[in-house]
Amino acid sequence: MIVRMAKVEIVGPKEALLEVLGLVRERGVFQVEPGEGRGGTASAAHTASERNLLAEQLFYEELRRKIDELALCLPTLEPRQSYLDPRRALAAIAALVERHGALCREWCARRDELRREREELHRQTVFLDALAPLLEGVLADSALDFIGVTIKDPVAAAQLTAPLARLTGGSYEVVTAGAADGTAIALIALTRGDAEKVRHFLNAEGIPELSFPVQYRDLPLPEKIGRMRRRLAEVAAGLERVEGELRRFAQRWAPAYRLVREWLGDRLSLLTVTAASEETSMCFVMHGWIPLPELPGLRASLNASFAGRVLLEEKLVLAEELDRVPVAIRNPAYLRPFELFSRLLPLPLYTSYDPTPFIAVFFPIFFGLMLGDLGYALLLVAAALILRRRWAARQRLRDAATVLLVGSLYAAACGLLYGECFGLPLPAWLPLRELAVDRRHAVLPMLIFSVSVGAAHVLLGLLLAIPGELRHGRRREAAFKLVNVLILLGLGVLALGRFVQLPGPLTATANVALLALIPALLITGGILAPLEMLKNLGNAVSYARIMAIGLASVLVAEVANRFAGLTGDLLTGIVAAGLLHLVNLLLGVFSPTVHALRLHFVEFFGKFMDYGGRPFQPFRKPVEPLNPPSPGGRGRL
Amino acid sequence: MEKVLLGFAAALAIGLSALATGLAQSRIGSAGAGALAEKPELTGTVIILIAIPETMVILGFVVAAMILYL
Repeated sequence: MIVRMAKVEIVGPKEALLEVLGLVRERGVFQVEPGEGRGGTASAAHTASERNLLAEQLFYEELRRKIDELALCLPTLEPRQSYLDPRRALAAIAALVERHGALCREWCARRDELRREREELHRQTVFLDALAPLLEGVLADSALDFIGVTIKDPVAAAQLTAPLARLTGGSYEVVTAGAADGTAIALIALTRGDAEKVRHFLNAEGIPELSFPVQYRDLPLPEKIGRMRRRLAEVAAGLERVEGELRRFAQRWAPAYRLVREWLGDRLSLLTVTAASEETSMCFVMHGWIPLPELPGLRASLNASFAGRVLLEEKLVLAEELDRVPVAIRNPAYLRPFELFSRLLPLPLYTSYDPTPFIAVFFPIFFGLMLGDLGYALLLVAAALILRRRWAARQRLRDAATVLLVGSLYAAACGLLYGECFGLPLPAWLPLRELAVDRRHAVLPMLIFSVSVGAAHVLLGLLLAIPGELRHGRRREAAFKLVNVLILLGLGVLALGRFVQLPGPLTATANVALLALIPALLITGGILAPLEMLKNLGNAVSYARIMAIGLASVLVAEVANRFAGLTGDLLTGIVAAGLLHLVNLLLGVFSPTVHALRLHFVEFFGKFMDYGGRPFQPFRKPVEPLNPPSPGGRGRL
Repeated sequence: MEKVLLGFAAALAIGLSALATGLAQSRIGSAGAGALAEKPELTGTVIILIAIPETMVILGFVVAAMILYL
């Protein structure tokens, strides 16, 4: 339901403005509207006051920016409570933040540099660990050179043997070992004279030789390994030192910075809103919107806090303002899960309707009429109950499971009406069995029923449009909708007359009424009115999909059952039928959902909904953290 | 012979409208996939848009049913 809103003005002494805003923000029910420049005479004091506020705001924004920059360098620690008074600590923090920022940035740069080097060296240690055992037996011979290559697997090393034998005249040896990351390392031992030729060959073949940092590149392999291991230990120790400094700094200063930052956020949100109020040299006036049920509460709070010095007055909402009234939607618990679907639509205007109740009423009916199988429905009920339990903490998924549950219950009821369970007829002793309609054979009755449901739905949409048109003062459009309704009713009577015997006067009245309504249609709707009328008829016929999708579903279920019988084997038959039923069940959830929604969004809401509403955004404290964490987990004080 | 012609007419009514629906859905689907790549929050809307041309095949089905049963 769209919550009724009240347009209000809050008036009070100018010096109480920030306090009033603080209270309003605390309650979180008031949307502040920018002033329209009515009244208020700008004085020199007024201008000076504005300048002071602007200077204060700029100072706070700059300080917050510096704190955020500092926060980016600090590690995330367990939050510790600080008992500082942020207002008193502000001057000290403002004086320190630049020095602290420079210090932390320097540590940060050093830390990042060491981390990069450690990662590079660590990557090499994967190879070093694999190479170490290979080098044990050959290090003594200084006439040898060693080339390390990474290969996909030890088998690939065998493919190197022929070219190596050709290039070295057979004086080489290849040994392989697995690296920790799953690749394989091959170490080629050969004479120094042949090493260059082999390197050239490996480059040409695109076989990567193990690469090492520049400073180790020209060293013999055994010495490379030793030096890199020593450097890795030095880097780890250096990194530990820098991170320790940053951690100690964060432990000491982060709580104070966090407290000051929160205070700055609060203060800035107040200062930003002050720009929306109008001021004279003595008082302020604030305009805005509040949900009507919240009005007495806010008034009582203001009276209690300011002892009548601040007044809250409800103003008359003018007709031309109706489309600008912010829209808040609040629904009872049963309807709330269906907001999942209404959120797919743009927000309605304040003068229009909340689509949620309509979806909550008609969606499960359409879903049930389309699926309409007791067996499938009971399976879906069980699945929905499990999912509701599993996703208890995830609101959207829980809502989806609730919608599925309601739709499945309707499908179970329709399954009883159709007498179907997994595409098979229900036993005769079940309730309503003798009244069941066999969808497979009653094609025409089901088609007429679906189109009748559509006609009723479209008629309801047209009827709902009439008050909306009248509210906007569009009488002619309202009359046009009414004529459409009457013509649809007349056509309905004539169509009914084809299938059942109607009293003669009723048919005659319908004929005369239709003849009389055609000129009325052209007068109220203009030359294109017949097209609009045809569109309405087309919309009603479009509901034939209720029957068509249901028929497709039951026929697939029947095919699954017949297929199972054709296999000639119990187990195979169960598996085959189970798989086909599973596919049908999935389609039976997806297709009715999409088509039921489409019938609402296009055929039904298209008749009466006006979209383009402004969301109600009350002034309240931000719920999200003010400085979101960076991808590396840093940046939060 | 009349039954054959009626069946053929019904098949044409539903078959041609199904082809038209398929053609329209293929275009909406590809445009929708492009839109979803940039705005994943439009998933629900795109699914509904893809279902819109199915009116054609539903109307074809209604015509086919009328040919066969009325």
